[in-house]
Amino acid sequence: MLTSVFIAAISLVLFWMAAFTLWWQMHAWRTPEVLASTRFSSPDGGEGLSFSLLLPARHEQAVLDHTIQRLLESGHTDFEIIVIVGHDDPETTAVARAAEARDPRVRVVVDHHEKKNKPKAMNTALPHCRGDVVGVFDAEDQVHPELLAHVDHAFRTTGADVVQGGVQLINFHSSWYSLRNCLEYFFWFRSRLHLHAQKGFIPLGGNTVFVRTDVLREADGWDPDCLAEDCDLGVRLSSVGKKVVVAYDSDMVTKEETPGSLMSLLKQRTRWNQGFLQVYRKRDWKQLPGFGQRLLARYTLMTPYLQAVSGVIIPLNVAIALFLDVPVGIAFITFLPAVTALVTFVFELVGLHDFGKQYGLRVRFVHYLKLIVGGPFYQVLLAGAAVRAVWREQRGRNDWELTSHVGAHLTEAIREDVPA
Amino acid sequence: MTSTLPAATTPTVPAQRPPAPKNVRDTRPSLRFRSSRPDLVLCGVLLAAILVVQGWNIADYPTLSDDEGTYLAQAWAVQQGKGLAHYTYWYDHPPLGWIQIALLIWIPAHLSPSSMTVGSMRTAMLLISAVSAVLVYVLARRLSLPTWAAGLAMVLFGLSPLSVVLQREIFLDNIAVMWTLLAFCLAASPSRHLWHHFGAGIAAAAAVLTKETMLVILPALFVTMWRHSHRDTRKFALTGAVTACALIGLAYPLFALLKGELFPGSGHVSLWDGITYQMSRPGSGFVLDPGSGSYGVLHSWLYYDRVLPLGGLAGALLLLVTWRWSVTARALAGPALTVAILALVAMRPSGYLPAMYVIQALPFLALVLAGGAASVSHAVLRRWRDTTEKTYVTWGRRGLAAVLVVAAGAYVVPEWYDGDRTAVTTDANAPYRAASAWLRSEVKDPRDTRVLVDDALWLDLVHQGYRPGLGVIWFYKADLDPAVTRTMPRGWRDLDYVVASPTVRRDAVDLPTVKAAIEHSTPVATFGRGEDRIEIRHINDTTTTATSGGSR
Repeated sequence: MLTSVFIAAISLVLFWMAAFTLWWQMHAWRTPEVLASTRFSSPDGGEGLSFSLLLPARHEQAVLDHTIQRLLESGHTDFEIIVIVGHDDPETTAVARAAEARDPRVRVVVDHHEKKNKPKAMNTALPHCRGDVVGVFDAEDQVHPELLAHVDHAFRTTGADVVQGGVQLINFHSSWYSLRNCLEYFFWFRSRLHLHAQKGFIPLGGNTVFVRTDVLREADGWDPDCLAEDCDLGVRLSSVGKKVVVAYDSDMVTKEETPGSLMSLLKQRTRWNQGFLQVYRKRDWKQLPGFGQRLLARYTLMTPYLQAVSGVIIPLNVAIALFLDVPVGIAFITFLPAVTALVTFVFELVGLHDFGKQYGLRVRFVHYLKLIVGGPFYQVLLAGAAVRAVWREQRGRNDWELTSHVGAHLTEAIREDVPA
Repeated sequence: MTSTLPAATTPTVPAQRPPAPKNVRDTRPSLRFRSSRPDLVLCGVLLAAILVVQGWNIADYPTLSDDEGTYLAQAWAVQQGKGLAHYTYWYDHPPLGWIQIALLIWIPAHLSPSSMTVGSMRTAMLLISAVSAVLVYVLARRLSLPTWAAGLAMVLFGLSPLSVVLQREIFLDNIAVMWTLLAFCLAASPSRHLWHHFGAGIAAAAAVLTKETMLVILPALFVTMWRHSHRDTRKFALTGAVTACALIGLAYPLFALLKGELFPGSGHVSLWDGITYQMSRPGSGFVLDPGSGSYGVLHSWLYYDRVLPLGGLAGALLLLVTWRWSVTARALAGPALTVAILALVAMRPSGYLPAMYVIQALPFLALVLAGGAASVSHAVLRRWRDTTEKTYVTWGRRGLAAVLVVAAGAYVVPEWYDGDRTAVTTDANAPYRAASAWLRSEVKDPRDTRVLVDDALWLDLVHQGYRPGLGVIWFYKADLDPAVTRTMPRGWRDLDYVVASPTVRRDAVDLPTVKAAIEHSTPVATFGRGEDRIEIRHINDTTTTATSGGSR
């Protein structure tokens, strides 16, 4: 009897978690009107704002020049590109300096921090920004030439403080995990982020994000100690009531590629998860006025924890339902999370089809097959990254895994916030 | 404060709403039933009329049906915690129907256990009828019918003498119809919301799990959903609905699997056997062949009302033929297709046509008939009309419309008046009540008396102290259920009484024990006359007095 109640309770919790996640994931397709509202509206031809585009680059001499060239092709007339390089990175610096010499719109800022990371680099550049709006891109991004005009229009017509454009991983055919990784981005930027914007709590993305310069300076830029400085900035800005607008157009997204190996994907995900946990513990989201908003914030930022826990519990739950003799009614309840997972699967298949249509990419039968077969394994990967993030956070390992430094001293600063 | 870019869903920043692409704009009049006063008033008035006509005299007319007794008894078993049936549940129908009945009447049954009899519990069906009637109205409006036509559909559905007779009875079909109508209403949701379509899938699954024959209607539901979804979101909406329907529907085989009864095996029932039985039921012949059983069933429907079945068929035909020209025809594609499917299924020469088959068609017949009327009215009053039309032509149109209305009224009203008056005045169940009273007062020792009854009377006797299952026995279980025959080693000699109602006498032909019991008994009380009489027959067993037979 006690087992039955226990299993039923666990199953119901898992069911509601999965159901809410599904509900949010499908936000953009709820009605045709919602879908239409997620797009950029067409620019009216006028321009009112100037842009400072930050381009942090580290050991990226191979792709940097191409990215700068693409950005310079933008149709917008009033922008500058600030390339941020490290003082210990002469190759990238050389490429940046060459571009600076060629075009007056390009400037180079050198970051002299001993231990380097992206937020520190961007904070170094912030005082040098002359534009009304600061935009962030990564050195390997493919940016659409019309993007700035659309963002300009969005800022002026909505009165937004922040505009988040779409970012999309494209190389879904590279491997089984890149397929799922692409689709994750698709559902996140195409759909879920719009829900966050609407609810007034939003973890921003790492690039194609535009913030009014004064708002950014007022917020003291990015948190140099946070592993998910982008998420943190979004949470801090939306928590104090800044207006964030999200727009996704398949032909206007910034295209990126998935991490090159499973291990680097795992590391990247670990960093994000750990970053989310850090943002959770910083408690800026507690300032959100609405109870529902705080609940959404709590849930979203806790997702790594929940993933880690559910990764352990779901198999256990199924095993108990199968091997212990529970009443038929209870057995039915234990199937509820599985049913929700199945529905999610089906929507992912449809999402993959839609992804192919939107980007004019040919999705073959084998890709649908990979999506299904890869599902459980990807879940294992996510759970692994979540467990790893929790582990690292507990151990106080707080460095960017890109570098070999251990930021032990940073941990102290964060620990002060931790409730006993 | 934040919002999505054009913030269509955030009322505080309306200026950001982008000029939505043309294809997104909704050309249909946006209907908000809840806030439309004329709709609410009309619907409310009609609902009251329907409830009065259907509710008045509900216990006494029509004659108690064996099936009603079956479902109510199984609902009673669910309430008593005896599982899905008090005899072995053998997958004859999915159990959701009587589980719902059990839930619906849980409180009254708890407060007054002896009210759990077919006659009094028919009242619960009023609730189902009311919900269905309102859903018919809402669906008609969502399918763009004008207010008067929606009202007409509701009247046709709720007040046709055929509907009044059938919807009063505790049939699973009535409950399944309610779910199906809900599914159609959600499929035709004006907001075209993903989760409304998802809900439509769930409601459709509930309908099928209530009465499996609803399966054949699903294609028409799909068509309705297709028509009412938007190109950009359609693939998500439709796959969502189909997935929801399939997953909920799979709960039934899953249930059988968990109980180890999915496939046939010795010593237990199985879902497979249940389906095989239903699929192999002897056919009742071609419906238009005057000698067939199906023909008889068809005429039993037409006896109560010709307008709704025949008019509805004609309406469906009209709408399907005028598909290309008529907006109404395209709007009513779903109901018209439903009627067509059901008509084709009924025409199978080898099929089995049960008397309640028409129930699932009633709302759709009503909708297409009302739609046909709307279509005709449009043709008479509006078609080829322009601003320069001569006054006498306009008046001619109006005159023609008036003539049509009067003619239709003159034909329908007297027929329906007679039919509905019969329904609210006739007492068809006096013999049943009398038989029940006799068995209560004249049998001294009900606990030790074994009696074969038809299902309609079974719960009455349970309340009078007879032992459910083996004391008071569904007559056919004496031949068909091994768990019952095992307790009757001497066959009919182990019984005390047979209550020979028309159903029992009809089916006894194929049931040797029941037949023998009737042959070896003499009537001790007879209620009613002729074919409809109910005889209480005492078994003439001179060898021993049959008492306390059978282990429990």
